[in-house]
Amino acid sequence: MTVQLLVQMTMTGVTLGLIYGLIAIGLTLIFGVMRIIQYAHGEIYMLGAYILYYWFDVLKLPYWAGFVVSALVIFFFGAGLQLLLFRPLHGKEMLYSLAVSLALIFIISSAGLIFFRPVGRGISSFVTGQIQIAGAEWTYERMVIAGISLVLILALWFLLQRTKIGLAMRAVAEDPETAGLQGINNRRIHWIAMGLGSALAAMAGCLFGTLMWILPSMGFLATIKAFMIVIMGGLGSVPGALVGGFILGFIDSFLTTLATSEMAYIFGFIVIFVILVFKPSGLFGQEWE
Amino acid sequence: MNDQSKAISRRGAWRFVLLWIVGIAILLAFPFIIAQERYVLHVAIVVFFNICLATSMWLIWSLGFVSFAHAGFMGVGAYTSALLLIRLGLPLWVGVWAGALVGGVLALVVSLPLMRTRAVYFFMASWAVGEVIKRIFAYYRGFFGGWEGLFKIRPPRLGPIDFANRTAYYYLALVLMVLIVLAVYRLNKTRTGWIFWSLHEAEILSSHVGIHALKYKAGAFAIASTMAAMTGALFAHYHGYINPKSFDIWTSEFALVHIIVGGLSTVAGPVLGASILTIIDELLRPTEFYRIIIFGVILILTVLFLPGGLESIPKRLRLRLWKLPEDKDTRKSIFSVFGKGRK
Repeated sequence: MTVQLLVQMTMTGVTLGLIYGLIAIGLTLIFGVMRIIQYAHGEIYMLGAYILYYWFDVLKLPYWAGFVVSALVIFFFGAGLQLLLFRPLHGKEMLYSLAVSLALIFIISSAGLIFFRPVGRGISSFVTGQIQIAGAEWTYERMVIAGISLVLILALWFLLQRTKIGLAMRAVAEDPETAGLQGINNRRIHWIAMGLGSALAAMAGCLFGTLMWILPSMGFLATIKAFMIVIMGGLGSVPGALVGGFILGFIDSFLTTLATSEMAYIFGFIVIFVILVFKPSGLFGQEWE
Repeated sequence: MNDQSKAISRRGAWRFVLLWIVGIAILLAFPFIIAQERYVLHVAIVVFFNICLATSMWLIWSLGFVSFAHAGFMGVGAYTSALLLIRLGLPLWVGVWAGALVGGVLALVVSLPLMRTRAVYFFMASWAVGEVIKRIFAYYRGFFGGWEGLFKIRPPRLGPIDFANRTAYYYLALVLMVLIVLAVYRLNKTRTGWIFWSLHEAEILSSHVGIHALKYKAGAFAIASTMAAMTGALFAHYHGYINPKSFDIWTSEFALVHIIVGGLSTVAGPVLGASILTIIDELLRPTEFYRIIIFGVILILTVLFLPGGLESIPKRLRLRLWKLPEDKDTRKSIFSVFGKGRK
């Protein structure tokens, strides 16, 4: 194995890890605050990518504005889903919210097949060019994408740790009733958290769609990856999602290069299984009932 | 269970026996009622397979968790039985038991580490098991046939009866379905079934009164997975062709949907849910992509407006007729949120 290959794989691993982390953090936020399994997270990620595609490649409007528009639209879409579908099921059997999100997968992915057609499309790059460092090719696009993911993750961390609304979210996640007694409106926090988690997925979709192809069926694979990461790191834990993202990003990058993508997939699931056997609530997770 | 409670639970039991006998009689006569129409028989056989899967999954649910590895174990049964036929020439009669054995032992071995996880983590860990099983079928092309799968899995013969005939296969699938539903139904009524529900309600409390939780959980998981494996064996010989795609997460998820729409609290739930949803699914087939959308809408409407599922309809009607207050199972969740304001 040459140094060049190693550097290249590490770089791919870091980029993938950050994007995966971005999807998974949205999911972990939703679970942590509301205790629902948002199974259709990947479909939302797919919708986000398509909004940017139509904005940037069909309507020819500026890229960064599209990025923001996609995030905003999906924020309100997610908040709407919470208010319309998930709120009535709050506090009920967890299977019911699982069923609703399963139904959302059916609806969104089939509607996607009808409206977007099952054709692979690519969002055009916004920057071109590359430089050579340590014998490996570093495209600017990849570096910018990794940078944006990192900035978004840090921004979320800042929001959760340093702002009032973030404090309220953590309080609701910890103990909804006590939080309510302190004057925190649980329902408002719920839809904000759902919107925020969905918007993170949409932005990850935009970034990933710029790197690779977008397809109406790309959502389910993202759901699988997001769940693998979140379970590895522990549901509801933001650092856990980031660590899990890196683990999976590196597995994907190294095993796909050295063996096959099939092997990477199987190995990822085996790693999860082993982690769960030794740490039944993930690496950073608490006990959930 | 003391004598008094036994007497209470026996009261009205003849109605259920009658229901079972009438139901089985109708199903036995069914091929002749429809004049052995091949398409209707096909739908009936698919309904039976789905009932088997949903019912065995419900058995796991009665302990309070949902296994997404269910389709994987169905695949284990299907592949075992198909490989026995293709490589060794052994018919389904051997294959179904071999599949059950392999599936059951595998489930028992896997369940020991799996049972350390709880709730959502169990969903995911069992999903991982199911995916790994499916991907292994796809990965080893030489042995398992890869993504293309295995072909030419002949239906068996028994004396003069050739099960390539659909009517004959209908009865074979019916026997399996009745056996599985009856087994789960009876098991649910025994002391073991009560223990399952006690683990569902309060696992820690149950352990404190001397119930070995792991033993029952692993046991129920293995039994249900064995049932799924037997269903898989019959599935393989019915279609004559299997590939890993038949046993992916969607098969498990559809079984879960059948349980949720049918109802979670009795064995009637999975039976009703699997039969009605499979029939609706077949009726919607001409609408192509819209089929899945309509399916999703049905699922959302059921969860929001009919929590408790189809099996709660008689109870709802009874409460409505006698104007009794609604209880926690039958209250429409959506109205309690949007209708009467905050509780």
